[in-house]
Amino acid sequence: MRMPSRLLHWMVPVVALQMFAAGSALGALGSVDATIEPQQIEMGESARLTILTSGSGTLSPTLPVVAGLEFRVVGTSRQIQFINGATIESTSTIIRVTPEEPGVFTIPGPTPKSPPLVLRVNPGNGAGSLSSPGGGPPGLLPGATTANGIRLTADGSAFVRLETPKHEIYVGESVPVEIQVGMRDGFVASINGLPKLNNNDFTLNNLSRQPERAQRVIDRNPFTVYTWHSNLAAVKPGTYKLTFEAPLTVKIRARPKSDSMLDDLLGDPFMQNFFAATIPKEVTVVSPEAGFTVLPLPTEGKPRDFDGAVGSFKISTDVSSAKTTAGDPLTLRLHVNGAGNFDRVESTVLGADGQWKTYAPKAVFKPADPTGFRGEKIFEQPLIATQPGIRTVPPLSFSYFDPSTRRYETAHSSPLNVTVAPAPDSTANEPPPPATAGTQADAAHGGLQPDHAAGEARVDSLVPLYFQPRFLSVPGALALLFVGAWAALRRREIDRQHARERARSQTIRELLTRMAAAAAAGDAALFFNAAHSVLRQALSARWQVEPEHIGSAEVEARLEGADRSGILEIFALADEANYSGHLLRATDFERWTEIVRQQLADETPA
Amino acid sequence: MMRRAPWAMAAALALVGFLSHAQQAPAGYSASSLYNTANAYARANQPGLAVLNYERALLLEPNDPDIAANLRHVRLASGLPPESRTGFERAARSLNPRILAWAGIAGLALAGAAVLARRAYPGHRRKLLAAAAAGFLVLGVALANAWALWPALHEAVVVAHAAPLRVSPVALEESKVSLPEATIVRAGAEHDGFVLVQVPGGRTGWVPEADLAALLPKPRQPRLGGR
Repeated sequence: MRMPSRLLHWMVPVVALQMFAAGSALGALGSVDATIEPQQIEMGESARLTILTSGSGTLSPTLPVVAGLEFRVVGTSRQIQFINGATIESTSTIIRVTPEEPGVFTIPGPTPKSPPLVLRVNPGNGAGSLSSPGGGPPGLLPGATTANGIRLTADGSAFVRLETPKHEIYVGESVPVEIQVGMRDGFVASINGLPKLNNNDFTLNNLSRQPERAQRVIDRNPFTVYTWHSNLAAVKPGTYKLTFEAPLTVKIRARPKSDSMLDDLLGDPFMQNFFAATIPKEVTVVSPEAGFTVLPLPTEGKPRDFDGAVGSFKISTDVSSAKTTAGDPLTLRLHVNGAGNFDRVESTVLGADGQWKTYAPKAVFKPADPTGFRGEKIFEQPLIATQPGIRTVPPLSFSYFDPSTRRYETAHSSPLNVTVAPAPDSTANEPPPPATAGTQADAAHGGLQPDHAAGEARVDSLVPLYFQPRFLSVPGALALLFVGAWAALRRREIDRQHARERARSQTIRELLTRMAAAAAAGDAALFFNAAHSVLRQALSARWQVEPEHIGSAEVEARLEGADRSGILEIFALADEANYSGHLLRATDFERWTEIVRQQLADETPA
Repeated sequence: MMRRAPWAMAAALALVGFLSHAQQAPAGYSASSLYNTANAYARANQPGLAVLNYERALLLEPNDPDIAANLRHVRLASGLPPESRTGFERAARSLNPRILAWAGIAGLALAGAAVLARRAYPGHRRKLLAAAAAGFLVLGVALANAWALWPALHEAVVVAHAAPLRVSPVALEESKVSLPEATIVRAGAEHDGFVLVQVPGGRTGWVPEADLAALLPKPRQPRLGGR
């Protein structure tokens, strides 16, 4: 919707009159400041003069009069604050300054004590810091540079700014930088991408994924400022100028410049949007150039173990345990603390050592800030003590270049003592066997031993043989076999023993019958021969020896007491009866028969 | 006839056992292939599967220094303490179980034969007694090895990045404890997709079945209907 031009023409003098009418009250104000942005423009552009008054009085700025410049009030804003019960008003008056000719103009301050403002007007048309495919958007206010190095776009809607702590850096050095993208509230619709570095000689590392968001007032206009943190590093020495750019979508006025006076007067995006006077347009906002001098790292004094770390670092070491056993692994940790390019902080930690078997270390970085400029890098290295005793982990060193001192530094750690106990088994006291022949530890993958050549026999199950049913059938069968064999042997022995017992019993019965017959017949020789045989059979069963081997000497050796004397007497009488023909009485036969029966009773279980 | 039946049964069992082992399929597991697989997992930063395959390789080649070194390295890199075993376990598991199993069979045969011969030949009692003792000694070593390997039947490795340890086999509440990857646990009962495990510290809890891999894979099922 367009505002009628006659209404516009009516409002301009009204506002101007109001400003002049308020001039008498100027002396009651607390302070009056004036700024002009930009301080240098070209013909066809305009600068913006802002007069800020604060205090309890009434606003009454006076429009300056400078030959060759046209001043026009385009808007005012007023803020009222209550501080400790006092009312403080502040009023901003925005005046558009349009040159009529090129030159250097001096604009008097709003008060006699205020310093004058200088505006340089160059001839011809210049390009603003805002670029878009179609050139500068129509109807935008020209760009300006503030004292903080912020250069707004030509329409004052946005800016991109690089904030860096230093402009002289060394190759490889990381410098923490902030990239700020400011968007004037209501003028910028969106950010369409991350800030981009426009220089291939630098790298931007660890750009924070989510920017910090803050509200700032710039030139008395509210801005939303998004800040990304990152580390800037140069890849080669030289002198460079950097710019950053950010793609934005801004709202631009759709009407011709001649019809935009009301918008200038209002200066309010709400009003612009209300009247649907803007359209979105994609633009790329570029930051002012930032100069950098990149110095090469000095070659003098470069330590052998320098690996490209630039910054300020300290190191310390510790081990997972001060006591261990030979053959058991320990973990040696090297802590590198500080600030700098941690991506170049490398260390082999402990190299080959006769006391320790070492493996390739593994590094973990713990950042202390979002960009990883400060933090701690920890190298963890597995160690195995090869020999028992009190072993020392030697001091470790780490070399880096310190940009603040402009020289190489080497940090050292303290030695560590570890008490190594002998391994329980003898093999642990020996140094661990080396890697497989023809191979080395896989350093690229954290010290893994290399792969093995395939070709050995395969098994169809990982279950140990002991627990495989098919295997268990073998010892089961063997056990069954042996138990069966043992039982068979045992049975055969028992059978044999039974047969022997049966034969012996039969023999004894026959001999006893012969003894009885001999006694009845009074045949002493026959009687004692039979008794002798019966006793031999009985004793052979008792002593498990053959009957033929039982004689007087055997009885004397094995028996004691009455049994021995009775048996020995029978053996002697048998010999005597055989060779002397001695006659015995009937009562004698009974006595000797009783002795034999007594021995048989002892032999036979009850 | 009846007396001969046990002999025939024993002979048949022994024959079946021997033939079944003699006809083992060439395809399957080997220590080197398991070790190489574990190395691949280690390089791919999958310590759980790496430890699983190293442990499996150690079952076949317990004295391979490379397997032990890489297993130790991966455990250290994963923040896990080195495996702690008692002296008995170390000694019993330091021998090749496959060879020792057959040595145990030989020891059993020697001891049995010597015991039987002692009955048949009493005149050589001492020599046969020594032979029986030697056989029983070898058999005892094999049994100790089997005893040391018995826990492996129930061990499992955490293969997920962090396996939640729950007090019950349900996923309704958040677990306050999680097991780091590559932890070796003792697996027990299973219920509804969860496995009851005991961690090295003695703590027990339920872990999702998908987060675990049994140290000993389940035997392959024979194809049904195939020739």
